[in-house]
Amino acid sequence: MRKWFARLAALGVALLVAGQGATAALAQDPAAGKKIVRVGATQSMDSMNPFIAVRLVSTSIHRWMYGYLTVPDSKTLQPSPDLAESWTTSEDGLTWTFKIRAAKWSDGKPVTADDAAWTFNKMMTDEAAKTANGPAVENFESVTASGQDLTIKLKSPQASMLENPVPIMPKHVWESVTDMANYDAEKYPSVSSGPYIAVEHKKDQYVKLQANPNYWRGKPKIDELQVVFYDNPQAAIAGLKTGDIDLLGRMTPQEFEAIQNDPNIEAWNTQGRRASYLQINHGATTTDDKSVGDGHPALKDLKVRQALHYAIDKQKLVDEVQNGLAKPADGSIVPPIYKEFFWEAGGEEKVSYDPAKANKILDDAGYKKGADGVRTMPDGDRKLEFRFTIHTETPIEDKLAEYLTAFFKEIGITLTTVKLESSKFTEETGVTGNFDIAISGWSVNPDPEEVMATHLCSRRPAPNGEGGGTESFFCDDTFEQLYKDQLKELDRTKRVDLLKQMQERLYTQAPIIAIYYTNDLEGYRKDKITSITPIPEDKGLLYGGSGYWPFYTVDAKATGGSATGAEGGSNTGLIAGVVGGVVVIGLAAFFLTRRRKAVADERE
Amino acid sequence: MTTPLETTEPAAAQAAAGAGDERPAWRGTLRYALAKAGGALFSIAMVIVGTFFLFRLLPGDPVRNMAQGRNMTPAQLDLERHRLGLDKSLIQQFFDFVGDTLRLDLGMSYEYKRPVLDLIGERLGPTLLLAGTGLVIAVSLGIWQGTRAGWRHGSRFDRFSTATSLLLWSVPTFWLGLLLMMVFGVGVGPIPGIFPFRGIESVDAPDGFAYVLDVASHMVLPCLTLVAVVYAQYLLVMRSSLVEEISQDYVTVARAKGLRDDEVRRRHAVPNALLPTVTLVFMRIGFVVGGAVTVETIYTWPGLGQLFYEAVSVPDFTLMQGTFMLITVAVIVMNTLADVAYHILDPRVRSA
Repeated sequence: MRKWFARLAALGVALLVAGQGATAALAQDPAAGKKIVRVGATQSMDSMNPFIAVRLVSTSIHRWMYGYLTVPDSKTLQPSPDLAESWTTSEDGLTWTFKIRAAKWSDGKPVTADDAAWTFNKMMTDEAAKTANGPAVENFESVTASGQDLTIKLKSPQASMLENPVPIMPKHVWESVTDMANYDAEKYPSVSSGPYIAVEHKKDQYVKLQANPNYWRGKPKIDELQVVFYDNPQAAIAGLKTGDIDLLGRMTPQEFEAIQNDPNIEAWNTQGRRASYLQINHGATTTDDKSVGDGHPALKDLKVRQALHYAIDKQKLVDEVQNGLAKPADGSIVPPIYKEFFWEAGGEEKVSYDPAKANKILDDAGYKKGADGVRTMPDGDRKLEFRFTIHTETPIEDKLAEYLTAFFKEIGITLTTVKLESSKFTEETGVTGNFDIAISGWSVNPDPEEVMATHLCSRRPAPNGEGGGTESFFCDDTFEQLYKDQLKELDRTKRVDLLKQMQERLYTQAPIIAIYYTNDLEGYRKDKITSITPIPEDKGLLYGGSGYWPFYTVDAKATGGSATGAEGGSNTGLIAGVVGGVVVIGLAAFFLTRRRKAVADERE
Repeated sequence: MTTPLETTEPAAAQAAAGAGDERPAWRGTLRYALAKAGGALFSIAMVIVGTFFLFRLLPGDPVRNMAQGRNMTPAQLDLERHRLGLDKSLIQQFFDFVGDTLRLDLGMSYEYKRPVLDLIGERLGPTLLLAGTGLVIAVSLGIWQGTRAGWRHGSRFDRFSTATSLLLWSVPTFWLGLLLMMVFGVGVGPIPGIFPFRGIESVDAPDGFAYVLDVASHMVLPCLTLVAVVYAQYLLVMRSSLVEEISQDYVTVARAKGLRDDEVRRRHAVPNALLPTVTLVFMRIGFVVGGAVTVETIYTWPGLGQLFYEAVSVPDFTLMQGTFMLITVAVIVMNTLADVAYHILDPRVRSA
């Protein structure tokens, strides 16, 4: 028995040495001496082609690679010059002229207005090229270029012209692409005009980006930015703890608590850009106003929706579901990080947790409680039993469901939880309307026009029950008019006011009920990253932010500053040799003891 | 047991069977193999048909799912459907699918916009490396421990190894994987975290021999997890069949001849006891191709398991179909080979 342990020990030592040797050998890797920042991601890239890539990780990486007409200012988040250094608008607001900066593509060719015009025209003429950012060119009548001047003619005035999300692509590289839908753009080094150039992509493994020496703002401070993919969040957290990656964003409260007390990690906890809300099926319809789905009739009544709102203790949800790492929503879908656009309810309108008031509203409206404590419809005996649709395998949503069930029970409403796998979830809550109440959320961009548009009549499914992109099946004349007005309003202050009125309308009509704004939870290695500027600069976001500011400004210590690394790369062979030798000896020892034992001890 | 000694000894029995029969033994084996191959082809055909319908029964419209959270017009949706061939009738789709599959064209992945066969080709290497190594280690470990445990069943070694293997067998793979990652990857207390736990190589991988070491060190944790959860089955099968052989007369005779205990075990008992394990091993080889979805997902190993996982979470129907078919066909082929190998190895099967 003792020998058996000895053997195990021998094998263990051999493996240990092999592991340590390998890590030592790695310290001598080609990266030594370079400033490299590794960012972890738990989602892998869907495509390197910005015309068709839709995942958040892909659009983030493309933001680091490509230039845009404008980018959000790092302080105010208002549009500021990027590839367009200045712009003018015609009197009627229909013609926009952008002056394109004299910058260079990473292959040395000049950036011209022709590149931008090609990009937009491609999207306007090729359906496949619309996949990622189609709505951005929907209102474009024509796009023309002359020298460095880009002229965009619009069908109708559009105030959000300066929030254009389309990366400008190099025409000389991309014009030969014919089948856009099937083009994966895996050509390296990529030709781009932003701070970084993609040099390698191993699908589901990593993307390597190099600093662009031709970048018009100047070369980034680090040499390489790498995005490393993990299939599961636990591994990514472990990666941050061991220093395999230097920064990880988009954490859940539970994940964040795991890194919070690590001395080497800066735990980043700021206001986020996401609003979580309940989507209420208040009578789902298609664009021709025909009902779809099987929503509960009681939810068509504004009073019932308001009663639900009064019955929710948002502070409790924040404390117990989100572990305190969120802010209760006293507004609508625009989170308070966007100070300019954020609307907060006040006075009479403000709905605070008040189950007594909720009960009174329902009593007054004729929803009487039965013997079992459950209310029924005033004009019949259908009980107020609602379904709450959530995603499968999301512990936070499970917990939320538990709390909401308890809250609604207080006001005589039964809530049962329905769990759907994500594709089915999207279909039922966004297209077929087969739900009563569903969980939803939106990560809002600096300009809220896009998220507002998800509550327009036209976003409902088409008469054949297809398409759309509604977040609520909302269709409200006042809201529509406000949306149209803000589109044309070129005076920023007035436009902000219109957008606030839209939030107010959503709040009072309650097709959705905002419950909380989750914090932006990230973490980075203090021992590696020496400085990084969030966006907005005052307590803003890092990975989760829009724009490339954090990753353009990031600075880090060079790799290989450790004791072994200082000796330089010439030792690699020696170390590898020693390690190899030890492994061989270890294995030999293992087999020798085995042999000896086989002969000796079976002879009892 | 009253059977003559020779018939229980495979080598001798084979000779006897060959001599007693008019036709040479290989012809029987060949006919048997052909019949089995025919059966396998039929199964594969059924798999192709089944796959088509199975993946159309799944909930969720792939195109709508791709449109998730985006504003897509019905025209765009139709275009996407047309691109994926989903606008044709089900019958038409079925015949297209069968025809393409027979030509080994598994279609374009919805998600990756690349041929499924290429994707599978890329992932096959890492999967074979990981799952293959895992299988070899698990089988060797299982047979080795099973032999010793079975030979002296009831001993301390037997109780210890059987209990350990059963414990590991019952542990959820995901949990064990994370535990190993935390202990040997991140490090706990005095144990340093020395093994990498993401992928098959470092992001900035070195060249030459150092690269081999790099990959080897990346393999340690996934392999350990893989082996820990499966080796029990080899151990138990080996142990129980050896326990059965020990009580056989030929073993007693071998001992009576004065052979050393070690030789009785190695030359007489083990070869006979190996048969059930061989079947098991062949069956598992089939599954090697499928990789280990869970282990690959924990350690972000770029193999077929991870590809399948990605395909399911999108859902990417063509990719799911492709990987699913590959895995089932591999299992069918290996099962057929196991049947044939069994036929060759064990004369009792042949005479039956």
